[in-house]
Amino acid sequence: MTSERAKAFILPLVLLGALEIWARVVHLQSDSLAPPSAILQALGQALADGSILAATRDTLFAAFVGLVVGGVIGLILGIAFGIFETLDRLMEVTVEAIRPIPSVALLPIALIALGFGYRMEIAIVAFACVWPMLILSRAAVRDIEPRLMEVARVLRLSPGQSVRSIVIPAALPRIFVAGRLAAGIALIVAVTVEIAINPLGLGASIMLAQQALRPDLMLAYLVWIGLLGYALNAVLMAAQRHLFGYAAVVEEPS
Amino acid sequence: MTAAASSTSADLVVPSSAQISFNAVTLDLGGKTIIENLTLNVSPGEFLCIVGASGCGKTTALRLAAGLYQPTSGAVRFDGQQMTHPRREIAIVFQDYGKALLPWRTAAGNIALALEATRVPKAERADRIATLLGKVGLPNHAEKYPGEMSGGMQQRLQIARCLAQEPKALLMDEPFGALDAMTRQGLQDELLALVATNNATVVFVTHDLDEAIYLGDRVIGLLPHPGRIGIELAIDLPRPRDQLVTREHPEFLRLRRMLFDFIKATEH
Amino acid sequence: MNRSGLMWRLASFAVAAAVVALWQWIADSRLVSPVFLPGPDRAWASLVRGFTVGDLWEKVVGTLEHMAYGWLAASIAGIALGAMIGSSHRMRTYVAPSLEFLRPLPVSAIIPVAIALFGLTQGMALFVIAFGAVWPIMLATVHGFAAVEPRLYEVARSLHLSRAAVIFKIALPSASPDIVAGMRLSLTVALILSVVCEMLAGLDGLGHWVLLSARAFRSADLFAGVILLGMIGYITALAMNFAEARLLAWRTVRH
Repeated sequence: MTSERAKAFILPLVLLGALEIWARVVHLQSDSLAPPSAILQALGQALADGSILAATRDTLFAAFVGLVVGGVIGLILGIAFGIFETLDRLMEVTVEAIRPIPSVALLPIALIALGFGYRMEIAIVAFACVWPMLILSRAAVRDIEPRLMEVARVLRLSPGQSVRSIVIPAALPRIFVAGRLAAGIALIVAVTVEIAINPLGLGASIMLAQQALRPDLMLAYLVWIGLLGYALNAVLMAAQRHLFGYAAVVEEPS
Repeated sequence: MTAAASSTSADLVVPSSAQISFNAVTLDLGGKTIIENLTLNVSPGEFLCIVGASGCGKTTALRLAAGLYQPTSGAVRFDGQQMTHPRREIAIVFQDYGKALLPWRTAAGNIALALEATRVPKAERADRIATLLGKVGLPNHAEKYPGEMSGGMQQRLQIARCLAQEPKALLMDEPFGALDAMTRQGLQDELLALVATNNATVVFVTHDLDEAIYLGDRVIGLLPHPGRIGIELAIDLPRPRDQLVTREHPEFLRLRRMLFDFIKATEH
Repeated sequence: MNRSGLMWRLASFAVAAAVVALWQWIADSRLVSPVFLPGPDRAWASLVRGFTVGDLWEKVVGTLEHMAYGWLAASIAGIALGAMIGSSHRMRTYVAPSLEFLRPLPVSAIIPVAIALFGLTQGMALFVIAFGAVWPIMLATVHGFAAVEPRLYEVARSLHLSRAAVIFKIALPSASPDIVAGMRLSLTVALILSVVCEMLAGLDGLGHWVLLSARAFRSADLFAGVILLGMIGYITALAMNFAEARLLAWRTVRH
C-alpha cells in the first residue's frame, strides 16, 4: 500500500539525482539542458515574481472559455443527435468530414480573422472541444435505458421536460467524463496554440525562455505545465468520484 | 476399499510402476499449510479421481502434479524424475476453458499451438489437427473461433489441444464443472472413449461424487485444512461404463454412500 | 450495406452538399469578407491549381512523411518499451506510476526543448512527433501486456514455449486490441505535431503552406490546405480502421 506508493517515487528521484550529479560533474554549459537544482530555482523565482502565475491565468482563461463554448455546443449537438436518430444520420457525412480536421490547421484562419490574442485561441480550443463532447454525449444519450424514455412518453412530458428531468440526469455521469476528457484537450490545445503562434500564456513563456537561451527557465515552465496538467486531471477525477462514484463510467479513447 | 490414512514416513522407496508419485509432499502458501505430508502413487494408465469439500486442496494437489507449484517439502515425481517445472508429457485441462484458449486463433490454430511447441513438422500438422478435432467431436469446426463456440465445444477444444501434446498423463481440474448436466454426461463418455484408446494416465479433480465414481478406477477423498488423504476407494465397476446401467449398479450406490458420508463428515 | 443504409448515406451526402451550397451562398453574398472566407468554388480552384501547376502535392507528401516517420518510430519504440515494462511486474511497480504522471502532459511543450536541442530542423520535427506519438502506444502496450490472462501463461509453461514464443504467440496477440487503439490515437497526435512543427520551423508541408497563405491573405489557398489536412486525417483514420478490422477479426465474432 504505502510501500507501493513509495516505490513509485524511487525511479524519478533516482533519475533526478543522477541528472544533478552529472550536470555538476560535467560543469554543464548548455542552451538546452540544466541541472534539476537550477530548474527548481528558476521555478521558484518565476513563482515569486508572479510571471508564471500570470501566464497560467492567461492560459487557463483561454482554455476554460474555449472548453465552455465548445463543450456546450458539443453537448447540445450530442444530445440532439442522441435523441433524434434521423438528425444524426442526416448529419453523419457533414460531421465526419469536418471532425478529422486538426484544430491547429485552423490556426491560420483564426489568425487572419481574429488576430493574435485570446479570441483566436478560444476559437481553436472551442473547435477542438466540440468533437469529444459531441461523440461522447451522443453515446451517453443513446445508452440511456429505453425504459426511462418510455416513462417520459407515458407521463406525456414535453421535449424540454424530458431532456431536463430524464435525459440529462441519466446521461450525466458519462457527460461528466466527456467534460473531463475535453478539459484535458482544452489545456493541450491552448498550450499548443501558444507555442505555435500566440504570444500569450504558458506556451509563449516557454518559447521565450528558449529563445532567451535560459534552459533552466524553459524546463521550469515545462515542469510547471506538466504539474498543471496532472493537477487538473486529478481534481476532475476526484470530483468525478465524489459526484458519481456509484456510476461505473467507462472511458472512451477519442 | 481401504479407508487408509496417509503414510507418514518419508518413504523413499518409490514403487517402480508408479507414473506419478507424491512422496510426503507438503505445500505452504501464503502462510497456510495447504497440503501436508501427502503420499500418493498413480499407476500408468490409471484413472484416478480426487474429490473433497471446497478448500481441501484438490486443485492444489493437481497443480503440484503439473509442476505449476513446487512442494515446500517432499517430492513430486513423474516417471521417476522430480518435477521442478511443467513437462510436455503432462497435459493440463483447466476448468476455465475460455481463459485457456487463444481467442485470436481458430480451433485449428489453437491445436496448432501445441503442435508448434512439440515441433511437429508443418506438413503433418493439418492431418493431426483434423484427426484430433474428429476425436473430440468437432470435425467441422476447424475455422471457428473460440468466441463462436459453446462452453462444451470450447472444453472439447481444450481437450483436443491437450491431446495434441501426445501426453502420457492428463490432469483435469473440474473440467466439466461449468457445463450443464447433459453436456457434462456426454463429455464424460467421450472422455472415457478417448482415454480407452490412448491409455493415458488421468488424474481428475471434481466435486461431483457421482462423476468421480462413474469415471474412475480409484477415488481419493481429501480432508481439508491441511489437505491429506482421508479415504481411498477402488472402483470395481465393469467397463465400459454406461450412464444408466452403471449408475444403477448396487456397487455404484454403495461407493456413493461411502463417499457421501465421508464428505459430510469432513464438512463439520 | 443494405438498402435503407444506402438511402441514409445518400441523404447524408445530400445534407453535406446543402451545407456546401450554403457556404457558397454566404461567400457570394459577401456576408463574410472573401479575405477570410473564400467560397467553395475558389477553394476548389486553388486545389486544382495547386495540384496541376503548383507544388501542393509536395506539401501533402511532406506532411505525410513527417507523420509517417514519427509515427513508425514511435510505434516501434512504444511497443518495445511497453512490452518490456508491461510484462514485468517489478518494472510496472517502479515505472508505471511515473508514466501515468506524464500522461496528461501537453506534449507540445517539448517543442521548445527540441528546438534548443536540434534547432529549427527536420530532426527537431521528427523528435517532437516521435516523442508525442510514443506515449499513447507505450501506455496502451503496457496495459495490454499487463492484462494478459495468467491462465495462458500457465498453458505456455505446460507446453514449454520459449520466451520468444510466449511474447509473439501469446502476449502480443493478447495485447493487440489495446496496441491498435494506442496506435490510432498516436496517428492523430502525429498529424497535429507535424502541422505545428511545420509552422514553427518552416518545413516543407501543409502546415507551412497554410501559414504562408494566411500571412499573404490568400484565403483560397489557405482553405484548400485546411481541406487537405482534414482529408489526411480522414484517410489515415480510415486506413487504421481497415487494418484493425483485418487484424482483430476474431474480436467481432460473437457466439
